[in-house]
Amino acid sequence: MTDASRLVIAAIDDDESILWSVGHLLESADYAARLFTSATEFLASDCLPEIDCLISDIDMPAIDGFELARLVHAARPSLPTILVTGYPDTLKRLPAAGKSVSSVLTKPFHGPELLAAVENAVRRCP
Amino acid sequence: MSDDAATKIDPAAHPPQHFILSTLSPSATQTRLALAVVCGILVVFSLLTVGPLKGLHLERVDAFVPAYVTTMFICDFITALLLHAQFAIVRTRAILLVASAYLFAALVMIPFILVFPGVFVADRGLVGGMQSTSWVYFFQHAGFPLFILAYALLKDRDYGQRSRQGEAVRDIAVSVATTIAIVAGGALLFIEGAPLLLQVTTDSMHFGPLWWYPATGVLLLNAAAITVLWSRRRVALDLWLLVVMFLYVVEIPLSYYPDPRRFSSGWYAVRGFGVLASGIVLMLLIHEIATLYGRLLRAVNAQHREREARLMTGDAVAASIAHEVKQPLTAMVTAADAGLRFLDRSTPNVDKAKDAFRRIVADGHRAGEVVDTLRATFRNDARERTSLDLNELIQESLALGRNEFQRHGIVVHTESNRPLLEVRANRVQLQQVLLNLIMNAVDAMATRDEPRILSVKSEASPGDSVIVSVADTGTGIGAHDVDHIFDPLYSTKSNGMGMGLSICRAIIEAHQGRLWFAPNTPRGAVFRFTLQSNPAVLA
Repeated sequence: MTDASRLVIAAIDDDESILWSVGHLLESADYAARLFTSATEFLASDCLPEIDCLISDIDMPAIDGFELARLVHAARPSLPTILVTGYPDTLKRLPAAGKSVSSVLTKPFHGPELLAAVENAVRRCP
Repeated sequence: MSDDAATKIDPAAHPPQHFILSTLSPSATQTRLALAVVCGILVVFSLLTVGPLKGLHLERVDAFVPAYVTTMFICDFITALLLHAQFAIVRTRAILLVASAYLFAALVMIPFILVFPGVFVADRGLVGGMQSTSWVYFFQHAGFPLFILAYALLKDRDYGQRSRQGEAVRDIAVSVATTIAIVAGGALLFIEGAPLLLQVTTDSMHFGPLWWYPATGVLLLNAAAITVLWSRRRVALDLWLLVVMFLYVVEIPLSYYPDPRRFSSGWYAVRGFGVLASGIVLMLLIHEIATLYGRLLRAVNAQHREREARLMTGDAVAASIAHEVKQPLTAMVTAADAGLRFLDRSTPNVDKAKDAFRRIVADGHRAGEVVDTLRATFRNDARERTSLDLNELIQESLALGRNEFQRHGIVVHTESNRPLLEVRANRVQLQQVLLNLIMNAVDAMATRDEPRILSVKSEASPGDSVIVSVADTGTGIGAHDVDHIFDPLYSTKSNGMGMGLSICRAIIEAHQGRLWFAPNTPRGAVFRFTLQSNPAVLA
């Protein structure tokens, strides 16, 4: 599989270990991973147009996952966004997020679970 | 900050207070109101004696007397009841004298209506003679100021002396019995001894010139009571009793001038003044009770909120710990999955798998460290306290933040009212709290363009406690966040401290202190915490 045909997934998490592991997992599934430690860094990077899916932690300083999903949805409504959180209570806020979020996973999630969510998301939107 | 505006209980701002009427100084508003009442009385007095109402003729209304007497009796009786109840709480005997004065005033109404001509029997009293009515009136107007005079003379001497718990009931019983005896004795004297009384009235309607002899005595008694009470006035009750006595004084000439006759305009006005005099202290007491009730409700609500907040703190700490442990576990599980996938390929990518396993090892250690830190925070020896200088610890913590201050252009002010502020505390934990509050302040100011000022103040306050405040000029705490600031979800910091405000609060509470926040002026937030100062060092 050539680089050009690989799907590009952006992952954002303020925990550097988790970010690295998620990147490695995406790579093991032949996705091209773009890693960012904050929403601000991601938004400043100009990579929004080229990605096929976005994975973001919810609980981050400044711009949190829900806010980022809202911003991204406004710019690219068709882009699937997967959120992850370590606080199950955060899920209460999910209904307010509406269509901007494709799915939410709670930490610690299983690798296959995350990959299934990504695959499901990118398959749904060509 | 007014009581109403305070959303959190500031322990330093609410010293225990006595809210009892007899111990409260009159407010400026109360003094002005009392003055206004006195002016109003004088206006009515002049209107009726020299003003345009001088010739006003009013009809005789017989039903007026029972209505007036009933009103007076009920007002004075309830006032007496409330004052007795107050005595049961404050137990200063002076209050008991005021209570007795009102009980006396209420009870005298019974002989008064019995001897009043035309109420029960046409043109004469049910009992007693023609002179009895005026003499019972004089009896009441002399007795009341005598009680008040005794109160004025006794109140300062009596102030520090309180009857003991068991004695209060006995004292009430004795004073009630004495008052009843005085009224009964007086009633007997003025009813049975009616033929011997000075002829102050010429018939059932008109007062004669001799009326002035007892009236002058009553006037002098009231004037004496006013003089003594005025020279010793201190509390709100004194102020209003002075107004009551003033009404008593005005009543006497108004009964005679311009028309020395029952059911004249002056006579009706005197009855009106009587009801006012009877109601003044009652209204004051009711106002006081309503105020106390409001404060009680607010206090109960505040306590309730505080307890809820504390319960939430426990949940918050548990959630923070769970989160701290989950983070490395998530990284490990994900990396392990990635490693397996690299090995499961038709041509296994061993290097990538190795990367993953190295990462798992590192994250495993990190998880271990998290557990160690938590154990250190909550382990028994974490409760070990050493004597330390809080000002020094503040300087150390600020030194750790120096790079951040420079990066964000933050000006730091420190202030303390003692060069050395010794507390007994766990040094590491206390530093964690300080750093957390300082870094929160930095984060709150980092996004604002206004001057960024961090003020850290430490002060020894009365009552062996130390208050530290960390104030910033940042974004402040929004109305929505006020209730959530100690929630784990609110704390979204990832600056490597590994603990939120919830843990800060748990640490401060473990030191028998309190952590709270308030808005800063003109903007930003102030976090304050208290600690017990080291008594051995301050002594």
